[in-house]
Amino acid sequence: MSSKSDNTRLRSGAWRISLWATLAFAFGTSLVFAGLHRFVANDIQRRSDAWLSGEIEVLGDVAERTPKDRLYDRVVSEVAELASKEVPNKSRSEGNENDSVFFLQAEKSGPPRLWVGAGNGQANLDAIRASKVVPDVPFHLRVKGFDIPFRVVSVRIDDGSFIYLGLSERDELRVLRNLRLRFLSLGVLIVLFGFAIVFYATRRMLGHVREITEAASRIGQSDLSSRVPTTQYNDEVGNLARTLNRMLDRIESSVHQLHTITDSLAHDLRSPLTAIRGKLEISLSTGIRSEQAEPMIVSAIDELDRLTEFLNTSLDVAEAKADALRLSRSEIDLDELIRVMIDLYEPCMSERCLRIELRSAGAAKVFADAALLHRAVSNLLDNELKHLPASCTILIQLHVEEEVATLILEDDGPGFTEETGREMFEQRVKGRDSSGHGLGLAFVEAVVRAHGGVVTASNRPEGGARLVVTLPCAFERHDEQVQPLDMLAG
Amino acid sequence: MAYHRVMELLLVEDELEIQDFLKASLADAGYEVDVAGDGKTAESLASAKVYDALIVDLGLPDQDGIDLILRLRHLGVSSPVLILSARRSIDDRVRGLEQGGDDYLTKPFALAELLARLRNLLRRNVAATASPTFLRVVDLELDLLKRRASRGGELLNLSPQEFVLLEYLCRHAGRVVTRSMLLAEVWGMRIQPDTNVVDVHIYRLRGKVDTEGREPLIKTLRGVGYVLKER
Repeated sequence: MSSKSDNTRLRSGAWRISLWATLAFAFGTSLVFAGLHRFVANDIQRRSDAWLSGEIEVLGDVAERTPKDRLYDRVVSEVAELASKEVPNKSRSEGNENDSVFFLQAEKSGPPRLWVGAGNGQANLDAIRASKVVPDVPFHLRVKGFDIPFRVVSVRIDDGSFIYLGLSERDELRVLRNLRLRFLSLGVLIVLFGFAIVFYATRRMLGHVREITEAASRIGQSDLSSRVPTTQYNDEVGNLARTLNRMLDRIESSVHQLHTITDSLAHDLRSPLTAIRGKLEISLSTGIRSEQAEPMIVSAIDELDRLTEFLNTSLDVAEAKADALRLSRSEIDLDELIRVMIDLYEPCMSERCLRIELRSAGAAKVFADAALLHRAVSNLLDNELKHLPASCTILIQLHVEEEVATLILEDDGPGFTEETGREMFEQRVKGRDSSGHGLGLAFVEAVVRAHGGVVTASNRPEGGARLVVTLPCAFERHDEQVQPLDMLAG
Repeated sequence: MAYHRVMELLLVEDELEIQDFLKASLADAGYEVDVAGDGKTAESLASAKVYDALIVDLGLPDQDGIDLILRLRHLGVSSPVLILSARRSIDDRVRGLEQGGDDYLTKPFALAELLARLRNLLRRNVAATASPTFLRVVDLELDLLKRRASRGGELLNLSPQEFVLLEYLCRHAGRVVTRSMLLAEVWGMRIQPDTNVVDVHIYRLRGKVDTEGREPLIKTLRGVGYVLKER
């Protein structure tokens, strides 16, 4: 992080994502907890109710069977006392001997007949009478003077009185409170942990994005040659970086191409245009006889032809390099083509005391654009013609191997100089004494590449240049394209 | 030429400069030329009169030249067409030839080339004359069956390639043939070598045909091409 503003900008993204993620996480955890809490509460209540129902049955039984004498109260209270000691989830409040359970026997009205529990039972009885009671079904009871409600079950015995057994919900509430407390602290911990992880991960990811953004803006402003940083991971950000870099590669090469073209156009058009202009001006000037003017005009026309040719080739090369060459392919026998070419070039070669020799292994059919291939091959021979000193030999070899036609041009001339060798197929590179525009080999390379082949240039160890052109042979591809070609021919 | 009617041409070209110089030089070459500056005019002119050939520029102000040619063909105009264009891609060439144009020339072109191609077109149109078996230009004689050439009765020692070249020149005797025409017709190549390969062939041929003491027949037109003297 380079500056504070970057820091906040970065954070805002990471913060936002982390906050939302945490919120969702917390919400999910709360839902889980609520479900769990409900389940535990129900379970505890079910257990208390089961205990209450069991005990009230016993107590009712005892109350019914015990004779209603002096001892009745004692017997029943002792049984109730005993039962209260078997309270589930036993954890009594300190000090108070037994406020978690009460036993009450009462008529429809009047004071309690029998009371076992804390206090005199009047408050409990009032509360019971105030609420609607369904026998044998446990119900909730809030008693004045007690913070904690009771769970109460009632039964009616034969003498017409009611027996009530109440169990304080204190234990249940305590268990639930403990549960909540623990869950809350654990939940907060988990959520915080989750937040930290999400924040860290997002910050890392956004850090990469920020680096890419910074690099991209740097590139956009000035430096087209630098690239955005890439990660070794194959994730979205890594892909983004790699895609951007590939795009930049293409843009850079296009821009470079454009520069080269404009440069070469400026250079290669200006001087001949100046010459043409000068010649035409001279031929116009007074005091020049027409016999003197004529050669100047003729050479101006020559110059214009060369310019036109240069312009065409420049555009072809540029198109080929931009992979925009439109090929209308047909089957061409390279062997035949080379033979015709040699026939065409041989007089010119022998004029310059150059020997040309062909070693061909027979037909080599390729599926190519005739016009482009013709020009490419003639460019190769033109190139030899222009660069070779007298009494050299050009050896052309042609063979087919594994569905690839290989054309090798070797000579025993001076070979490529180091500098031409390096930028052989770039536009405008000329050999030292070259008179051409240096487009020849660039065009060859572009055409061959457009046909799926490769051109390599090197110097032979024994001296001289060696150009190797490979082109895929025509086999199956031929069949599938016959149709459109026929249509074109017709 | 077999007959002496003045050939009538329709030039469809919107650029005035080119229009003017083409019209002037075509008239100079003995043609009668009507000019149309756009497709509509061209259409009405071509349907009113039968021209021997049309010269059509592809970049017209109101429509594409190819569309115009198509429409004319549809209207029953069967005169051969020489297409002129500043477009240079192969695709357009194919398209142009495919759709009824009979030849194609990219701008800028040599005037002589235009005239040569035009003559070619017109000759093709006049009649697919029975190909002769014997050609004669001044004292140069070619026996096309025996593939033998002689000058003044003296047999010339020509290679098969040289014979084909000389035959092409004789067939076009008196007319300019450009280097690219020779490359296309004699060698079957659509190339523009930036070396003087064709000139060397002509030079050699000249060495055999125009020997010392004979009237030179093969003439070079600088910057344009060659012409075999007719008379």
